[in-house]
Amino acid sequence: MTLTHPTTGHTATADHIYATGLRNQWHPVVPSHFVAPGGMRKVTALGEDWLLFRRGDSTLHMLADRCPHRGARLSLGKHLGDRVACWYHGVEVEGDGTVSSVPGLPGCNLEGKKLVTSLPVREIGGAILAYFGDEQHPEPCELTLPEPLTDPGTEAILCYAEWNVPWRFGMENLLDPMHGQFLHHESHTMFDGDTTAKFRIRETDRGYFFEKTDQRGVNFDWVELCRTGVDWVDLSIPYPPSAGPGGPFGIVGMICPVDAHRSGVFFWRYRNVEGWQRDTWRFLYRTLIEKRHWEVLEQDRVMLEAMPHDADQAENLYQHDLGVVRLRRLYRAAAEQQAAALASPEPAAATAPAGV
Amino acid sequence: MTPWPYLDVHQSRTHEPTPYEYKLAATLEEVFTKEGHELADVIRGLNARQVHAPNGTPWTEDTFRAEMHRLGA
Repeated sequence: MTLTHPTTGHTATADHIYATGLRNQWHPVVPSHFVAPGGMRKVTALGEDWLLFRRGDSTLHMLADRCPHRGARLSLGKHLGDRVACWYHGVEVEGDGTVSSVPGLPGCNLEGKKLVTSLPVREIGGAILAYFGDEQHPEPCELTLPEPLTDPGTEAILCYAEWNVPWRFGMENLLDPMHGQFLHHESHTMFDGDTTAKFRIRETDRGYFFEKTDQRGVNFDWVELCRTGVDWVDLSIPYPPSAGPGGPFGIVGMICPVDAHRSGVFFWRYRNVEGWQRDTWRFLYRTLIEKRHWEVLEQDRVMLEAMPHDADQAENLYQHDLGVVRLRRLYRAAAEQQAAALASPEPAAATAPAGV
Repeated sequence: MTPWPYLDVHQSRTHEPTPYEYKLAATLEEVFTKEGHELADVIRGLNARQVHAPNGTPWTEDTFRAEMHRLGA
């Protein structure tokens, strides 16, 4: 993918990167089931349009949604099994972005050239992740997947939703555990705990914890930001006894920056359960619990969608907002660094993703 | 065009639960609350409430495990 505008030659600014998502890392895109074998789906991510298409054997490809010939939408074209054909003039593009055929002019010099951006993709826990590099970092960075999504003793169930919310507001919401005590006070899991608290930041080698100093295991008392090639949060919320054995449920959260004003939110609810306990939790989840969790998520959506776009420009923060301030500083600095690297003719060595 | 936004309350279901499934789930929540979290508690609690297996017989540990596997797999 390029961050240099194809016609104007302008390089992306830090503001643009901050608004549409950090580059040079993995992001979730959509749930895997959105693209069936033999199917195609147009998606927007990090402010650009993409085409996902899946072969009959389930191999997935992600291409810029732009025909290299005249710029028509490849997503309007035809799935040819292992490639797509643009509807406009029939130009055929393979999964790696190579033009395989120009039917109107066989032998045309477009043939055999890799002219369409193709992103590396991985699928985990029912979601599609893609690596969004800038022109200096086209090769994917290392990706360490969240343990709750890979541990065989942990059962994770994905919930995906699309919100008219800037991605960073969604992330800030997750680094603000105290909202649970108020916004979600009427929910079935977050009714308990003090309405006052003191928080601290605790560093880890992959991010940081933002946690209450005086209460744990009662409510939404801590959250860990993890930057492991993809940004995700981990948190834990106690279940009432009615949910059965297995203890609290955890959430792995990720957010797809769709564009400057929209996000796809990915929440895996997970629990350390196996055997009949796993089966019973899944049964209760499907039948009764999923709807209750959804109602909590809707409270977040309603609150965040109603926030002014410039909400973060005129605030009066207090001690509970340390986690948000830290997150914002981190992302802003990374956006500045990525924009500066793209604007400078220096080699890519100095442009590794910002530390935490 | 791909529709926006995707907001689906139920993403883990394969079908609308039957009246039997709703009743079983609600009773399980009550049993977990009042009786305990061990398998023996669950079997005792369900049978005491006469919420039986689909064939009308009292639950055993084996039939409960099998039914949960069917419903929760």
